[in-house]
Amino acid sequence: MNRQIQDAYVVAAKRTAVARKGGAFRHVRPDDMLAHVLRGVVEAVPAFDRNEIGDVVVGCAMPEAEQGMNVARIGLLLAGLPVSVPGVTVNRFCASGLNAIADAAIKVMTGQCHVAIGAGTESMTAMPTMMGNKLSINPRAFESAEHVAIAYGMGLTAEKVAQQYKVSREDQDAFALASHHKALAAIAAGRFRDEVLPYTVRTHLPDLDSNTVRIAERVFDTDEGPRRDSSPEAMAKLRPVFAARGSVTAGNSSQMSDGAAAVLLMSEDAVKRTGAVPIARFRSFAVAGVPPEIMGIGPVEAIPRALKLAGMQQADIDWVELNEAFAAQALAVIRTLGLDPAKVNPLGGAIALGHPLGATGAIRAATIIAAMQRGEARTGMVTMCIGTGMGAAGIFERV
Amino acid sequence: MTSSKFRVRRVAVLGAGVMGAQIAAHCANANVPVVLFDLAAKEGDPDGIVKKALDGLKKLEPAPLASTERLAHIEIANYDRDLARLGDCDLVIEAIAERMDWKQALYAKVAPHLRAGAIFASNTSGLSINALADGCPDSLRSHFCGVHFFNPPRYMSLVELIPSRSTDGALLDRLETFLVTTLGKSVVRALDTPNFVANRVGVFSMLAAMHHTERLGLGFDEVDALTGPAIGRPKSATYRTADVVGLDTLLHVVATMTDHLPDDPWHRYYKAPAWLAALVERGVLGQKTRAGVFRKDGKQIKVLDLATQDYRDADAVIAPEVAALLAERDPAIQLAALRASAHPQAQFLWSIYRDVFHYVAVHLADVAHSARDIDFAMRWGFGWKVGPFETWQGAGWQQVAGWLNEDIAAGRTMSDVPLPAWVFERAGVHEAAGSWSASSGTLEARSALPVHGRQLFPELVLGESARASHTIWENDEVRLWTLDDADGERAPVLSFKSRMSAIGPKVLDGTREAIARAERDFDALVIWQPQGPFSVGANLKQIGKVLEAGDFKALDRVIDDFQQTSMAIKYAQVPVIAAVQNMALGGGCEFVMHSPRAVAALESYIGLVEAGVGLIPAGGGCKEFAIRCARAAEASATKDVMNFLQPVFQTIAMATVSRSARHAQELGLLKADDVVVMHAGELLHVARCNALAMADSAWRPALRATGIPVAGRNGIATLEMMLVNMREGGQISAHDYRVARAAAVALCGGEIETGAKVSEQWLLEVERAQFIELLKTPETQARIAHMMETGKPLRN
Repeated sequence: MNRQIQDAYVVAAKRTAVARKGGAFRHVRPDDMLAHVLRGVVEAVPAFDRNEIGDVVVGCAMPEAEQGMNVARIGLLLAGLPVSVPGVTVNRFCASGLNAIADAAIKVMTGQCHVAIGAGTESMTAMPTMMGNKLSINPRAFESAEHVAIAYGMGLTAEKVAQQYKVSREDQDAFALASHHKALAAIAAGRFRDEVLPYTVRTHLPDLDSNTVRIAERVFDTDEGPRRDSSPEAMAKLRPVFAARGSVTAGNSSQMSDGAAAVLLMSEDAVKRTGAVPIARFRSFAVAGVPPEIMGIGPVEAIPRALKLAGMQQADIDWVELNEAFAAQALAVIRTLGLDPAKVNPLGGAIALGHPLGATGAIRAATIIAAMQRGEARTGMVTMCIGTGMGAAGIFERV
Repeated sequence: MTSSKFRVRRVAVLGAGVMGAQIAAHCANANVPVVLFDLAAKEGDPDGIVKKALDGLKKLEPAPLASTERLAHIEIANYDRDLARLGDCDLVIEAIAERMDWKQALYAKVAPHLRAGAIFASNTSGLSINALADGCPDSLRSHFCGVHFFNPPRYMSLVELIPSRSTDGALLDRLETFLVTTLGKSVVRALDTPNFVANRVGVFSMLAAMHHTERLGLGFDEVDALTGPAIGRPKSATYRTADVVGLDTLLHVVATMTDHLPDDPWHRYYKAPAWLAALVERGVLGQKTRAGVFRKDGKQIKVLDLATQDYRDADAVIAPEVAALLAERDPAIQLAALRASAHPQAQFLWSIYRDVFHYVAVHLADVAHSARDIDFAMRWGFGWKVGPFETWQGAGWQQVAGWLNEDIAAGRTMSDVPLPAWVFERAGVHEAAGSWSASSGTLEARSALPVHGRQLFPELVLGESARASHTIWENDEVRLWTLDDADGERAPVLSFKSRMSAIGPKVLDGTREAIARAERDFDALVIWQPQGPFSVGANLKQIGKVLEAGDFKALDRVIDDFQQTSMAIKYAQVPVIAAVQNMALGGGCEFVMHSPRAVAALESYIGLVEAGVGLIPAGGGCKEFAIRCARAAEASATKDVMNFLQPVFQTIAMATVSRSARHAQELGLLKADDVVVMHAGELLHVARCNALAMADSAWRPALRATGIPVAGRNGIATLEMMLVNMREGGQISAHDYRVARAAAVALCGGEIETGAKVSEQWLLEVERAQFIELLKTPETQARIAHMMETGKPLRN
């Protein structure tokens, strides 16, 4: 086997539509969502020997309960992949899905295998709280001021970013509203159609009048998050959630959501043998740490590192998917790095489209790959901040 | 086969308006399944009208629902689809708009669907029950009557029960029994006269107040200052009551009197004053339109000024010389002084007393069975502390009758109709043997309906005396006593004599002594207060005194005493039943928590409120929750105690007080098998029944709790995480943080390893140590001082 560094090509990228927490995927398990997108990407390319898949790397931010038990392995088996295909779940909170794609790509690039899948799945509906089934923090976090920010909720860190980077309530609200407008326009124009794999949700619910089981089917294919009824007035009325005199509201924060996505990667050799059409080349991935109390600023450190690894300049990037954990941090990142707002989230972001934590990285990668397929971008970057103070960025280039 | 017992499996309420929805809510409060009907909506969801009404119940203040969870027990129905469901209902209450034709059309429609033997009752406040009965289908007539609730039905205890000429008497008895015990209401049997009893007298009283306001040129705010708590009436007094009721509704009730009482000697006063009619004309209807006689302007309350036809600041007060007269305890002296004073405020008060006395004396024969019914109707339906006949009799019956006669003769009264002859033949209307019935010319004894026997200490009118009891033992702050009946010989009662039943050292000593005596000589013990709250908690004044001396050793002993008293309640050899009504706060709540069974009136406001004064529960409250959460976790699938501790921690940290006994059960402040009693008057009876049933069931005290696994350091950290975020977000102060963290430490059993097993005494030591540490902080001391001075919590 060739052990030289070689290119890893994206040959397929698919995602589910993103449901609101408690929405269309209320009765759909995260392992089923994962199986659905895994099947989707392998069926999107010409038939190949599935035993060649060297690993299925799946990002998940709360890998427990319904998405525990190494959800990657469960999902791939449910997807009908051969038992010979291994699977691993990785967790880097909100960057998990992107990290999974990078891990899968690196396996191909280093010649460990010719085919690999990077994916992400997350059901925030399945988790009783944002922090999973059981939150237990180390008491040492409170013993000194140094570690206390480990205990900070994400919303509080967004308040700290808003203060430190002087992001006003008005700017946050305007940014959030724009996210909804862009997302609604994108949906209306069918710009997510290529990347979304419709999911037929089949529910078995009791009909208490007739005492029979009522089976209902619904095809879910459109992101649920964007709101038609949002307006500057409605945004302005919302109260700050995380601080008494704060600026971060439910309206200018990302939504809690359910969803999954997968990206199929191949070596040049595999592309030639299988006849798959390469869409993009995986160029680089970088992570960096920042103070936990301003975790939202993470991309400021990660983006330059990823660019450097790819040998690129910021201006070389045509399309940036910057996860909108909070409008406050997204604006702080854009302003600090001088990102071109026109290139950032042209189809809307997590404030409108939702943020199923560990799946988001893979979902937004699918958005960029689809844009490249349509010829709308030559280069693209997925980037996000990460709880407890990190940033991640990954760069793709159209073939 | 007809049952000899009346079982209300289900109630139907027809009409989801303000009253209908609230009556349904109160049925749900009482664990009575209820179907709420209204019209099928013409557009959209056919159940839209009822659903909207149920939504409204969640927002209404004061809350009609004992807890929002109660909503689940109200079934939604509409007349188009669900009339067949009436077949399951043993009681159907009609509460639709006050239109004879609409009501009769509805009766015809529902009649074929009613269950045989079901009671059908109208909540009308203005229409004639006989006229409604005449329009009833024949099959319904004997099962039909009026059942008039007062708004808000959860809180106003009065229900007037009005038979028609055809109503089956046995049915009324059954309904009264249900209303009293199951719904917790107090019943007055009324006659089918316009506006029945309470509104007839109450609305006249308001009209009289309006007449004299104008005559004496007083301000509306001035009259409200005079006619509120100063004379034993609700804070909303006269004009704010009108605003709350709705000025249009008030006009409607007045119109009933205008239309149906043409020959009444006061008929010319049965009309709205011009200013009131003008307000209603302009759509200014009171609270529901945010403006009426009063209007809130930010924080400032404004009152309508008739002279300027504009709102001004409402700041009128009672004149000092009149206030001095009101401070007089002897009603005879007070009334004479008011009458003699030239001050317009005094003249006003004398005038409204006099004209209402005049009115009830003249009308007693035709509006009520007895004087007692009028007095109770005003107490239960209008919140007066004392009814009009009682006030009169209390001030000297013949003396006041003489003044009335003089004023009538002088043309000072609103009507010149003479007082009825019986007034001058009697020394009063209330006697031990009964209350005067002007229609029958006899003294009418209290109802002999068995349900009333459940009230061991029923509300009394002047002249009646409470049932005999005797003291077994007492000290300065508690009394151990018993009723001289068979149950009394077995289950004595412990009552606190302190103000608001606050708990000081002598209450602690006395409680332990009472338990020791109960163990020695009796089968059970009931803790019950004859009046006021169960207990407002530890006596802050006494703590404050020791605090001033800086003697923390002594404080530690007091807290230890407290804890040992709670433990004595929990582990007594006889069942100690806490019979709770109104407030059970702080230490009072901890006594309740330690009682092997609490019996609580629905209107129980229970909470561990120590955080408000910068402290944590240390009478065993934190300890008890730590044990309960540990036990619940052991029985759960994940075994995670934090699932149970988190909500409890919030309850303590936020000093949450339950909004009802049922809410207290949801908060875990009452146990799931504690008993909720709908009528507070039945509390002692139910408590004794429970106590003796437990004793007779060979009850044993709980085994000592041992090997209690605690949440420990990890648990404290997890709770602290929440606090850090709130402090950093500026939502709580540094001292709030400190107090809440102390509660976390106490609930988690101290800074030890998670899952370590401890004893009950260990948990008591931890909570006591945290309590004393907090007590040493200047911020907590400031909170205590502020609470003692102002009665309000200090945020520092």
